[in-house]
Amino acid sequence: MRFQDAALDGRAVVYAGIQADPLVVRLAGLLADASVGQLVLARAVMNGMRTDPGVWRTIAPSLFPDDRSEAILAASLEVADRGEQVRSQVRGAVVEALAELLLRRRGSGGAVRRERRILFDGVRAEIHPYDVTFEGPGPAEAYDCKWGARGINADVLYQLDDARTHAADEDEELRVGLVVFDTRLACDVRLETQTAPRDATSLTTIETLSQLASMS
Amino acid sequence: MTSIGELIDRAQTGLEDLGLRAEDVADEWTFATELVAAQGRRFGAIAIQRGTEDAPEPVARAVDELLGEIGLIDDPHRAIDWLSTFPDLVAIALGEPIGSGSS
Repeated sequence: MRFQDAALDGRAVVYAGIQADPLVVRLAGLLADASVGQLVLARAVMNGMRTDPGVWRTIAPSLFPDDRSEAILAASLEVADRGEQVRSQVRGAVVEALAELLLRRRGSGGAVRRERRILFDGVRAEIHPYDVTFEGPGPAEAYDCKWGARGINADVLYQLDDARTHAADEDEELRVGLVVFDTRLACDVRLETQTAPRDATSLTTIETLSQLASMS
Repeated sequence: MTSIGELIDRAQTGLEDLGLRAEDVADEWTFATELVAAQGRRFGAIAIQRGTEDAPEPVARAVDELLGEIGLIDDPHRAIDWLSTFPDLVAIALGEPIGSGSS
């Protein structure tokens, strides 16, 4: 089993620009220390219709006044102000950046990388790279990040489980998981409709995001 | 004074309307309808426990503003996203746990 940077095609170049957007970096940094309520607020605002901050303070009165809530609200409104297509890309990039940031906090010496392929002897490489990987020491980990539960589908579940199985075939341990910026309930409902293997795939949701920093 | 039960009734109506908009995405019909059902059970559980309580004025305003927000959504894809977010904002307003409930 070996890791490799994904090929930088045209789409990847455009997306790399979005991943490097200072707004993405700022928002991920704010969300890394957010409460679950603040994470829900960010999700709502980024997917909201209205961009008046007063509306959102009224909707979530228990989260205000609070400096972090205000900063999250302001950054999320900046995302919401983007056009629909860009907004969607930015949201995805924020979830990936957040997962990367939390994994880096483990401080266990492993390399946290983005957009990586995992190659196995005699197995054709997957088209889609893994969003975030944790590459040793100890068992490697590969994560696919989703904005919402709806992003969970058979393709991603098979890709993750296949990678784990191929690693096991080479006597390597690869832990695979989904990081979903949505609630566990929504993910459970989504997973009930899926028949792809998922028993060995971890699920990190908005309620458990902070645990990414301490998992081992 | 509005009761928690009345707020939950309004939230349930808003949830069902959102679900109807989400159903326009044919491929996601099962997910949308099952998520509406799961969130509805969650609302029902809150109503049973706290339905007779008076809702503080900021809580009632929060739910009203939230219903105004989801009322503006006409894109079915966005409606699907809100089927999970909306009930959690109701939960935040009511001081209930986020993401709880059995699917």
